[in-house]
Amino acid sequence: MGIITVEKSNNLLWLGRYTERVHTTLKYYIEATDRMIDRDPGYYAIFCEKIGIPDIYGSRETFWTRYPFDTDDPNSIFSNLYRAYDNAIVMRDYIGTETMAYIQLAIDDMKNARRGDTYLADLLLVIDHILAFWGCVNDLIYDEQTRNIIKLGKGIERLDLYLSLDRPATDIRREYTRMKQFLRKSHMHYDDSVLYTIDNMLFEDEVCYNTVRSLIRNLITE
Amino acid sequence: MDGLIQHSETINKLLARYGVKFGIYKNGEFKEQLFPFDPIPRVIGHEEFAYLEKGLKQRVDALNCFLRDIYGKKQILRDGVIPEEFVFSAKGYLPPCDGVTPPKGIYSHISGIDLVQSKNDSWYILEDNLRVPSGASYPMIAREFQRKSAPAAFLHNSVIDNRNYAQMLKSVMDNVNTGGINVILSPGRYNAAFFEHSYLAERTGAVLTTGSDLVCENDNLYYVDYEGRKRRVGAVYRRISDEYLDPMTFYEESVIGIPHVFEAYKKGNVALLNAPGNGVADDKGIYYFVPKMIRYYLGEDAILQNAPTYLPYYEQDMKYTLDNFDKLVIKDVAEAGGYGVVFGSSLTKEQKADFITLLKNEPRRFIAQEVIDFYDLDILDEAGGRVPRKADLRAFVLTGSETQVWPSGLTRFSRNPNSFIVNSSQGGGFKDTWVLSR
Repeated sequence: MGIITVEKSNNLLWLGRYTERVHTTLKYYIEATDRMIDRDPGYYAIFCEKIGIPDIYGSRETFWTRYPFDTDDPNSIFSNLYRAYDNAIVMRDYIGTETMAYIQLAIDDMKNARRGDTYLADLLLVIDHILAFWGCVNDLIYDEQTRNIIKLGKGIERLDLYLSLDRPATDIRREYTRMKQFLRKSHMHYDDSVLYTIDNMLFEDEVCYNTVRSLIRNLITE
Repeated sequence: MDGLIQHSETINKLLARYGVKFGIYKNGEFKEQLFPFDPIPRVIGHEEFAYLEKGLKQRVDALNCFLRDIYGKKQILRDGVIPEEFVFSAKGYLPPCDGVTPPKGIYSHISGIDLVQSKNDSWYILEDNLRVPSGASYPMIAREFQRKSAPAAFLHNSVIDNRNYAQMLKSVMDNVNTGGINVILSPGRYNAAFFEHSYLAERTGAVLTTGSDLVCENDNLYYVDYEGRKRRVGAVYRRISDEYLDPMTFYEESVIGIPHVFEAYKKGNVALLNAPGNGVADDKGIYYFVPKMIRYYLGEDAILQNAPTYLPYYEQDMKYTLDNFDKLVIKDVAEAGGYGVVFGSSLTKEQKADFITLLKNEPRRFIAQEVIDFYDLDILDEAGGRVPRKADLRAFVLTGSETQVWPSGLTRFSRNPNSFIVNSSQGGGFKDTWVLSR
């Protein structure tokens, strides 16, 4: 394939970002739900605050079902999965039908989980298919630039979410280092001074997560 | 065949898994839905296909001659074979195409010819689609899944492999490519046939674009990459209608076209598949004249017959249409996709009177056809039983260095037992079409 345009690079980047958003928020949701069962029933409000979405739920039970499944809620996991699909469907010729199928399967899993009584367990299948999607990205997409842009999107999103979720600085440094590799190989335009600033900040004793997160969000330039 | 029936659900699941869908607008809202697949294939014998192949090649070759003539010398009009006003009043006739010869003189590269088989086994041509016929990707990908789900069905039947459609399409694009890459131009994600656009791009290695990455400079067409580098485009398999293709030449409000692409095409610097202006040849009014075209250009009798058709434009045909209104089907020549089709017998007295007034006021707008009692094909109903339904066949005829008929086709069927309308947009499903090698 080999010819990436501005529009296509944007689709690939956001495909990576949305699939990662589904993956990480789903894992966090499953952990948080467990916590809310008997330890901290009001934790959903903190959850919303951490990932930066409005708390429109009002109760633990409403959060449990609306946050993953409500497609009318633009912040739900399902809405993010549909956005991943929207970016994948226009890139079939770059990522391939086989790779795309795993996004479709994740959507089917989500629909099945929504219908079933064991939705927490059933949602694990969504994670399985997202991981299979990443396997296909590694294994079946031969064009390096295509692959690296998707992985760059994944890296940026993961870093953004990890910073929001106050993950340990070691995790942040590790994900940042990985993301940088894809940034360079993606041939996308980025602000070198931003990278330099983050490099310095991450090796300070006290890392200011909010500043790093806003820098990461301004890293890619058109 | 039993294996296919037994594994029908598996095949449909695979079609869903790989996103084999089509889009539809209902109440202004876009929805993607699965194209219902029926596992019982239409089977066409070796000899029967040879007959169809000969007739289809003949028809498409004549239609290409007609287009070359109409946008060139117009000899067929001078010789009085087709009334001039019939051509120039056709919605698909595009004056800007006059005098423009496409690369290698080919106008219709991908032709979708719709046929039905009557109960006496005769095949009739229902319509020619020479603009942007769609549907080949569905039986092509369905075959892949049938072979996975029921391999024995293909072990015991000599079915010609139809998965070569993408290669055929690529060679058609390569044949007229003027130097550069091949692209597939799609209106975008919310087009009914977007699955097909993206799947054919993947399978042919052409670049899928919505036009925002294409730019014309110095009468050449370029594809612009992320770094701003320009790659020349040699062939555009466009899946958008003529009127939206170039706002500088056609519909000026079009935001999905490529400004100045028509100039590049006129200068011979890029091939457009199919050529703009083809709509004049697949006009339902012009359809009436295709057997005459075959005789005129090829000196042969038409192998495949039209459905008996009347043009209310002619006084004699108008009289026949009015006298036999209840047993005819009337079609609006400007409509497609199963729309604008009226069965005389289905109208109330008042509706009939209104329609006849319209027909008399706008005779050029309609054709009347005998209702062909076409062959029913068995489909599986929801309970798994076999029930007969109306079905047609869209044959794909590809014109590159030679004209070839794809040894398969899209068999569409009506899911409604009382309907002749097979279009997917109106709830129809599809079957694979098997052509036997012996």
